[in-house]
Amino acid sequence: MKHKPSLPYLLLLPALALLVAILYPFLTGAWWSFTSYRLNRGAPVPNWGENFLNLFSSGEGLHAIGITLGYAVVVVVLECLFGIGLAMLLNYVGRIGNSFRLLIVLPLLLPPVVAALMWKVMLTENGVVNWLLEAVGSQKLLWLNGPDSALWSVVLIDVWIFTPFVMLLAQAGLKSVPKELSEASAMDGAGPVRNFVSVTLPMLMPVLVVIVTFRGIDSLKMFDIIYTTTKGGPVDATTNLHVMAYLDGIRNLNFGAAMAALIVLWLLCYLISFFLLKARRKEAFS
Amino acid sequence: MSSTVVESAARAQATPTFPGTSRRERSRKLRRSAAIIVLTLWTVFALAPIAWILLMSFKTPGDIVVYPPKFFFAPTLDNYVKVLSGSAFMTPFVNSLIVTLGSLVLTLLIGLPTAYALARFKFRGRENIAFSILSLRFAPELLIILPLYLIFQKIGLYDNYLGLILAYQLVTLPMLVWMLRSFIEDLPVELEEAVAMDGGTRWTAFRHVLFRLIAPGLGASMMLSFIWAWNSYTLPLVLSGKNTQVITTGIQQYIAYQSIDWGPMAAATVVSMVPGILFALFSLRWIVGGLTAGTVKG
Repeated sequence: MKHKPSLPYLLLLPALALLVAILYPFLTGAWWSFTSYRLNRGAPVPNWGENFLNLFSSGEGLHAIGITLGYAVVVVVLECLFGIGLAMLLNYVGRIGNSFRLLIVLPLLLPPVVAALMWKVMLTENGVVNWLLEAVGSQKLLWLNGPDSALWSVVLIDVWIFTPFVMLLAQAGLKSVPKELSEASAMDGAGPVRNFVSVTLPMLMPVLVVIVTFRGIDSLKMFDIIYTTTKGGPVDATTNLHVMAYLDGIRNLNFGAAMAALIVLWLLCYLISFFLLKARRKEAFS
Repeated sequence: MSSTVVESAARAQATPTFPGTSRRERSRKLRRSAAIIVLTLWTVFALAPIAWILLMSFKTPGDIVVYPPKFFFAPTLDNYVKVLSGSAFMTPFVNSLIVTLGSLVLTLLIGLPTAYALARFKFRGRENIAFSILSLRFAPELLIILPLYLIFQKIGLYDNYLGLILAYQLVTLPMLVWMLRSFIEDLPVELEEAVAMDGGTRWTAFRHVLFRLIAPGLGASMMLSFIWAWNSYTLPLVLSGKNTQVITTGIQQYIAYQSIDWGPMAAATVVSMVPGILFALFSLRWIVGGLTAGTVKG
């Protein structure tokens, strides 16, 4: 169909206007990250990269970066294992899988904040989970209140909420694996593991790229679950970059340090999205 | 999905099963039972917390704090009465509705033409624009929100519906555009060209052909956007004050510094789950379609 060359840009105008409007806070914030801007101490004074230097040389900064990366890796690996496993089981059991799917997916549709609160209630010292532990003869655990267990407790909540997300996408991806392929490879004597690695996994790749992009980035910038359950504590056991930036900015009004942490976090997220989307585009064209 | 069901049913008919005859059949049944057991275990894991909160929402304060926890007790509706009659929960609930629906309308106004342009035209900078829009979804929320907090205070958009609705575009717009674009690209352009051939304009083609065809995809995208906006926490935490508090931030007021008002919190939690669960029941298939649009060809 013919059209005026300006038509697509005209249709894009509202979105472009929004993008430009967002540039203003973004650039303002980026400028702050190079200043020692504190809300209660007047205008921003540049300190040229001192915030970033602090982030990469102080114990707190490196700790937060470590928590951010570690959390993302653990969460993505666990959720992919469980999610893809559940998806394959759902496909394997046939029609009854539909009922299972509807129930398993429920945690995903609650507000993460609400889900996190629910777990917080259950994981208190005299909560139902500790009661279960005692009932099977184990000791009570500190869960979210323990310096060593807090991060794993948050991981547990994250896995509980977002494994169904991986499961849904993986199930849709598995549908694109032709049955004949896996049957043929079984005929050739491939075991289930071999079959998964050389037939299912390659076909699952495009969906896996989407899964890892979304889950990877969302867990790098995880805020809701951590802030609702532990506020970054005990002490700083669960303080990742995003939570640290909030505490720096809103609580201590140190906008310079907060924006520096956010810029670093943003670069991490951007790298992942860029590489993975590129991989996806290549996939789509090949 | 339905085709596999039909297939397996057909296969079951084709090979009559005599009980205990073939070892292979038995091991297949065994494996199927094992799969069902694992799925059941995960389902219990997924539902137990929700069930526990549901129980808790019917308990009196005394029954809640007791240890060991009670599974049998005299249920009460006090918590729901307290939550639904007071403004502590109802005001945030209404605010959530206003902000979420408002953002959805604005997202649709901006997103629909954007998705159409990205899907149906070739022009310079197309992929860059598409990626820029999507990358909003991938930036940490505070990166924009923290500066916006001060800017909004200056221009009077802090603690304001309009300010929140504008900020919520960060959550809703990128995904809607991304999904709608895939949906439109999946439809053959020839249909619209046929309308043009018959003398129709692009607008009539869009209205009468494309719009009807993308209705399911549009529905799915809108539902997902609704859920994401409804669940959003970081944005209202920073940008809303007393007047525009939404449900995700409002529910936290039951947690004071030392004591937690467990019963009403449980009841509020249950009520705030309702929209998500309703969507799950009615539109799970569409939602999956929306998330996987463009990656899985049926």
